[in-house]
Amino acid sequence: MNVALFVPCYVDQLYPHVAIAALGLLEALGITVAVPEGAACCGQPPANAGFERRAEHTLGAFVSTYAPYDRVVVLSGSCAVHVRSHAGSLGAAGAQVAERTTELCAFLHDEVGLDAVASLGASFPRRVAVHVGCHALRGLGLARPTELQGPRFDKVRALLGTVQGLTFAELSRPDECCGFGGTFAVAEPAISAKMGRDRLRDYDAHDAEAVVSTDVSCLMHLGGLAARGGVRLPMLHVAEVLWSEERRANSEESERVRSSLLAPRSSLGGPS
Amino acid sequence: MTKRAFELPVLHEPHRADGAVDHAKAAARFTADEARTDWHDGALWWVRAKRDLAAASLDEWEALRELASSIKEHTLSRLDEYLVEFEAAATRNGVTVHWARDADEHNRIVHGILAERGATRLVKSKSMLTEECGLNPYLQARGIEVIDTDLGERIVQLRGEAPSHIVLPAIHLKKEEVGDTFHDHLGTPAGLADPTALTQAAREHLRAKFLAADAALTGVNFAIAETGGLVVCTNEGNADLGMALAPVHVASLGIEKLIPRASDLGVFLRLLTRSATGQPVTVYSSHVHRPRAGQALHVVLVDNGRSTQLAREGFWRSLKCIRCGACMNTCPIYRRSGGHSYGSTVPGPIGSVLTPGLDLERYASLPFASTLCGSCTAVCPVKIDLDAQLYRWRQLVTAAGHASTGKAIAMRGAGLVLARPWLVRALGAAARGAMRVVPRRVMRVAAGAWGRARDLPPAPPQSFRAWYRANRSDRS
Amino acid sequence: MTTARDAILAAVRAARPAATPLPDVRAAAAAFVHPDGDVSHRFAEVARAGGAHVVEGARVDVARLVREAYPDAARIVSMLRDVAGTAPMPADPHTLADTELFVCEGVLGVAENGAIWLPQSRLGERAALWLATHVAVVLHRASIVPHMHAAYEAIDVSVEPFGAFVAGPSKTADIEQSLVVGAHGPKGLTVVLVSD
Repeated sequence: MNVALFVPCYVDQLYPHVAIAALGLLEALGITVAVPEGAACCGQPPANAGFERRAEHTLGAFVSTYAPYDRVVVLSGSCAVHVRSHAGSLGAAGAQVAERTTELCAFLHDEVGLDAVASLGASFPRRVAVHVGCHALRGLGLARPTELQGPRFDKVRALLGTVQGLTFAELSRPDECCGFGGTFAVAEPAISAKMGRDRLRDYDAHDAEAVVSTDVSCLMHLGGLAARGGVRLPMLHVAEVLWSEERRANSEESERVRSSLLAPRSSLGGPS
Repeated sequence: MTKRAFELPVLHEPHRADGAVDHAKAAARFTADEARTDWHDGALWWVRAKRDLAAASLDEWEALRELASSIKEHTLSRLDEYLVEFEAAATRNGVTVHWARDADEHNRIVHGILAERGATRLVKSKSMLTEECGLNPYLQARGIEVIDTDLGERIVQLRGEAPSHIVLPAIHLKKEEVGDTFHDHLGTPAGLADPTALTQAAREHLRAKFLAADAALTGVNFAIAETGGLVVCTNEGNADLGMALAPVHVASLGIEKLIPRASDLGVFLRLLTRSATGQPVTVYSSHVHRPRAGQALHVVLVDNGRSTQLAREGFWRSLKCIRCGACMNTCPIYRRSGGHSYGSTVPGPIGSVLTPGLDLERYASLPFASTLCGSCTAVCPVKIDLDAQLYRWRQLVTAAGHASTGKAIAMRGAGLVLARPWLVRALGAAARGAMRVVPRRVMRVAAGAWGRARDLPPAPPQSFRAWYRANRSDRS
Repeated sequence: MTTARDAILAAVRAARPAATPLPDVRAAAAAFVHPDGDVSHRFAEVARAGGAHVVEGARVDVARLVREAYPDAARIVSMLRDVAGTAPMPADPHTLADTELFVCEGVLGVAENGAIWLPQSRLGERAALWLATHVAVVLHRASIVPHMHAAYEAIDVSVEPFGAFVAGPSKTADIEQSLVVGAHGPKGLTVVLVSD
């Protein structure tokens, strides 16, 4: 089975360490992963803003880039849902790519298996607040959402459960939206920020020491709010917790490796 | 399209100068009072939590939702037949059935019924349809006293406001505010804010109205095609007090309220109140088939845009709605912006898929008052694909040219860039470069709406793609 | 000239989506698994949770149980032979406004929600159920069914001009979500469960 990885544009540009971790994780699991050029974006942002037609070209480039692969692993729940929901409207090739597209955690849980993931021996002895992005949750079925009745399951928790020392912060609202919502973040900034700050309050009230999510877009939003509010709360993608270059035992080291990817800080700009 | 002849003032005026609703602006004003937003959000989340407990108490909850959805979809697919069946059965029962194409026709019919009998004192129970038609001001302008008898509706009526929620009309008000309103209008002591005492005052005030009424108007939760019956659900008993005393009872309903058989009520009555408030059923579920001796019973079947919505391939399923309000209670945006910020009779997620069909330009912002999180779809007892319909309305809004100019230009640009990976990389590198040298203060402003409340992420020197090329060049 | 009726029906006919089948609710409901235990026990539990007062006894004790529940009620209207009223059911329902206690008998009870079916023939005047300050409803334990599907199987709601499922005293939470019992209808409801 040949597998390709899709790294969304904002992850590629602003969170390369997450993509590096995802790639390293998949390779450590013995999977050969191609990262083809030719598609920087799945087209979700303009489509959700109402410009589905304009996004078709972008989605078409995604389809032709990923058509040769048996599996397309996407480093974003919302991008995966967008491709799965809409690529089929572009024809047979699109339908095939849609069907083969999945998100990283779903892929790891369903096709790689927890035993293999556990064998990586990851360690992260922290109390973690899990944020499954809404599209990953309700669009891809990564967990049973609290609205629906039925046997509880949570693929993300199951994956994180293989990590040594990791415990979970039980939140008041385990699956309320963080408020990013793509262009919603700038179209309705007041509500967007309020929703994110309320998530941060929930994490604080339950002594979360880190936030782990399936979606970097959510982390970007929550992280930006936390930084502005002077809240120090590490925000990590699931891939970063499951894998590290050196199999680190604590998050300070994780920070160090991540910051080693960034140039030395100048006093004028860059991170706080 | 029927515009309301009279707009009731609302707490947070959401309309722009050109008449279009600006949800974002109204929402920003609502959230400016953070403590009050937390209170409003908490109150509605609590109702959502009660709904969850009720749903969890039934192993067959999801099966019931599927049944309810199927019954409604079937009914809508044969709606004309069921309307004819209902009319025949009701007529045989001594009910007079009227048909109204739009809001104005509905209002004229209702007024005609009252005028014919010389009725001037009308008591009304909850009917979102009559809100939609602007019935109250229409009748009041013609000398008829209209008293909304649902406690929450009476409160907002006395305040001259629109209800902010279809089930909990006064959810946006604190008890002190209700106390002030009752002091002004009912003569309760200044400063009295105890809910029990205030409710008692309303009880006495409204009892006098029920006993003096010469007409009663109710909404209808479900109309049974097979028997010609009407089902009205309340906790307060206000609809019943109206119907049981007045010499004329008018029941107004949208044509989508039909269900085929009485036995279908087993499904809907098990879902409705659990979804709405978490109770297993409303205190009263009244089934009306024939008028009381000496009473006239009139039913008004109203279209007002429903047949147009039925014809919309991507949106007709919104007509399955049984008006439970669960979507509002779960919506993180509704809870933090309040019903008035939608500027529509029905607010929240269902309002945002029903209302744009009435006037796309006026309500263009409503489908965007959402992160498409999908929680509404997951709680809807009749499984309306609310988030998918919101997405579809967005496409129609932009296609009709109602997207804000800034957004249209930005998205045209985005479309051009995102299809070209080399351009994304070039712009990305340039942006990252800028982020690393430009002072944070300036970046915050340059980041526009993002930067008002959030920091930008730290800018790495190298994109993943560049790293990949440098470190995995043998595999690219 | 087209009537509104013709116009609406034509519009609906033209607009309606492709036909889908009506599900077999009876078959589906038959597959639902229900809690074990005595339905009348469950009924009492749920009715109490909804604010009703529930007492149990033999048929012969009904008058006494009602009197014990409402010792001070002076103006009583009763639909039951075995409970004496102080006034007959009036011709004009408005005059029921000063009724302190209304006594009647339910046809059927529903365990899942504590509701009792009361058709018009059991009420005399519909208004009695809402104008009286308190209501006492006698219900035979054997008439309690587990859920609403069973209720609709057991009764034909269209036979009588009116009927209501009543699940406790009237209530509202419209003022800051504070529950207040006794909204516009009765302030209290007592169910007298009898076994014979």
